[in-house]
Amino acid sequence: MGSISALHYLKPTRTANGTSLFNFSKNRISQLPVAFRSYTVKSSALEPPDVPRLAETARISLNPQEIEEFAPKIRQVIDWFGQLQAVDLQSIEPAIRADTEGDNLRGDVPEKFDNREELISAVPSFEDPYIKVPKVLNKE
Amino acid sequence: MALTFLRGIQLNPSMLYPSSYFARKHGVLYCCMRSAQTQTATQEKEQTKLKVSTQSQPKAVDKFLKDFEAVIGIETHVQLSTLTKAFCSCPYNYGSPPNTSVCPVCMGLPGALPVLNSKVIESAVRVGLALNCKLSLNSKFDRKQYFYPDLPKGYQISQFDIPIASGGYLDVDLPLEYGGGHRKFGITRVHMEEDAGKLLHTDGGSYSQVDLNRAGVPLLEIVSEPDMTTGIEAAEYAAELQRLVRYLGVGNGNMQEGSLRCDVNISVRPIGQLEFGTKVEIKNLNSFSSMSRAIDYEISRQVELHNQGQIDQIVQETRLWEEGAQKTVTMRKKEGLADYRYFPEPDLPGVSLTEEYVNSIRESLPELPEDKRRRYEKMGLSMQDVLFLANDINIADFFDTTTAGGADIKLAANWIMGDIAAYMKNEKVNINEIKLTPQELGELIASIKDETISGKIGKEILFELIAKGGTVKGLIKEKDLVQIVDTVEIEKMVDKVIADSPKQLEQYRGGKTKLQGYFAGQVMKESKGKANPKLLNKILLEKLNAKS
Repeated sequence: MGSISALHYLKPTRTANGTSLFNFSKNRISQLPVAFRSYTVKSSALEPPDVPRLAETARISLNPQEIEEFAPKIRQVIDWFGQLQAVDLQSIEPAIRADTEGDNLRGDVPEKFDNREELISAVPSFEDPYIKVPKVLNKE
Repeated sequence: MALTFLRGIQLNPSMLYPSSYFARKHGVLYCCMRSAQTQTATQEKEQTKLKVSTQSQPKAVDKFLKDFEAVIGIETHVQLSTLTKAFCSCPYNYGSPPNTSVCPVCMGLPGALPVLNSKVIESAVRVGLALNCKLSLNSKFDRKQYFYPDLPKGYQISQFDIPIASGGYLDVDLPLEYGGGHRKFGITRVHMEEDAGKLLHTDGGSYSQVDLNRAGVPLLEIVSEPDMTTGIEAAEYAAELQRLVRYLGVGNGNMQEGSLRCDVNISVRPIGQLEFGTKVEIKNLNSFSSMSRAIDYEISRQVELHNQGQIDQIVQETRLWEEGAQKTVTMRKKEGLADYRYFPEPDLPGVSLTEEYVNSIRESLPELPEDKRRRYEKMGLSMQDVLFLANDINIADFFDTTTAGGADIKLAANWIMGDIAAYMKNEKVNINEIKLTPQELGELIASIKDETISGKIGKEILFELIAKGGTVKGLIKEKDLVQIVDTVEIEKMVDKVIADSPKQLEQYRGGKTKLQGYFAGQVMKESKGKANPKLLNKILLEKLNAKS
């Protein structure tokens, strides 16, 4: 649990008027040309985290005590984002990614991973040649 | 072939749902769409005939559907034929033993980091340009989170708000059996992403099986505008995409292997209504014909619900096409939009393209199917020829090489679409597997044109060239096949045949002029098939009618 970045638990928080804080709303974004994406600064007063829902989306079971423990921790992270939201970006051109250094691409040259046995032996339930999983028929 | 078609028409209705006008309509579609991929010249002719005979039937459907229009959009996944996966160097070969082409990256082991295959970007740019899209010089990858056993990482690396290409279109020529016509369908976006593994459901078992060979294989997702209105338009859009990826060499476009997968979104609304009806998604379409039939079934289903005042029965859901039952069935109902919690993929840098790079790829693009069809049209070929030849890049190349050598265009098209196509179909080989070269086909056409050999002998040589190879000149010489155009020599043979058949001669001169055919056959036999038929008939007639 602790090894997973707290970032993963963030869901796009809804503001009072229903718009997405991070502007990840698919429909809206796809209609806007990149250059005109809205980066308006939102209030730093954010909704408290809905920990049971976060746990559900991450497929993690938490007992009530754990939920209580995690709530303030996650709240801290969100508040930190609140601080970021307060930064004045009016004159800054939006960046797609933080890095700008090169593409770091790979040529299309096949190379077999040579320790397959160890990979396979780490699979919790393997029935040669398949990985065995509980029966699934539908997504969601 | 004709028999198969007829059987298709007769059997289909009984497998379909009760209303007979639906059944007939789908029967017709069934027989026609089957051939969209494997046309031969003869087949096309048969279809045209069939079309005429069944034309009166769709009217009932038209009447039934006339107050409604369907709105169809298609999401296509194209598997790229790169040697390695998108983010790791694992080789990908369809059909490899399960779970053999895997590594820590594509199995989603902690700490393993993705590195993008440059070929994926190249393929995306090629497809983006070919689809007349605007390219994003700066784009990025995003994580799409969902939990499913074929997705080991718990997220798919995809592109979300900034796809690599967007805002394009695709030109399509509809098959002649459906009245032909040209359409332009909008392309909303093209983005890069990775495939998931393959999930197998054991029959009645309590568990499922996963093969991760396909996990991490690069895909392009191509999203169309909701510009299509019929099953035929949708199927032809998909067929054109298949042609495009094959022409571009970025993928094999094989639907049976799942290298080209289409999900169709479809809604129906009363004509004149501005807002769209509730849309339903159809999956499990693994051929163009099933696509077309599934869509037309779904349109009918939705229109029927409209007509029965049961619009509320049309719900946003995913339906599966059941090939056996020839209908769509509910797979899952959508309960609100899935929350994929997209965020920028932190393990990969952004994707940036330079103008020079894009231009170099633009210059390296081959002639695309649409350009080829327009060029063939200008060369004077009929639309039927154009569609056949441009349908398969290998056949188009064969035709282009043949005509580049100076061969007559219409004759080259006829040979390829006729005898050569028939041979390939019978022997189940493609044009690259036959021994005949485009050069020799050109030579054959020229030899017939300049009357070195007769058309009949040309046909005989053709099959030998296809099956065994060799050269036209060599075969003519080896078999002594040069056409006899020497009048004196032909006269001699005619004289001999007439002298040998006094009885037939008497009958002929007694008014049974049909016997000319008998004489012509005998002379041809005498010449071992080498006599020039025109000369032969001319001389024969003169001699037969000479004295009475």
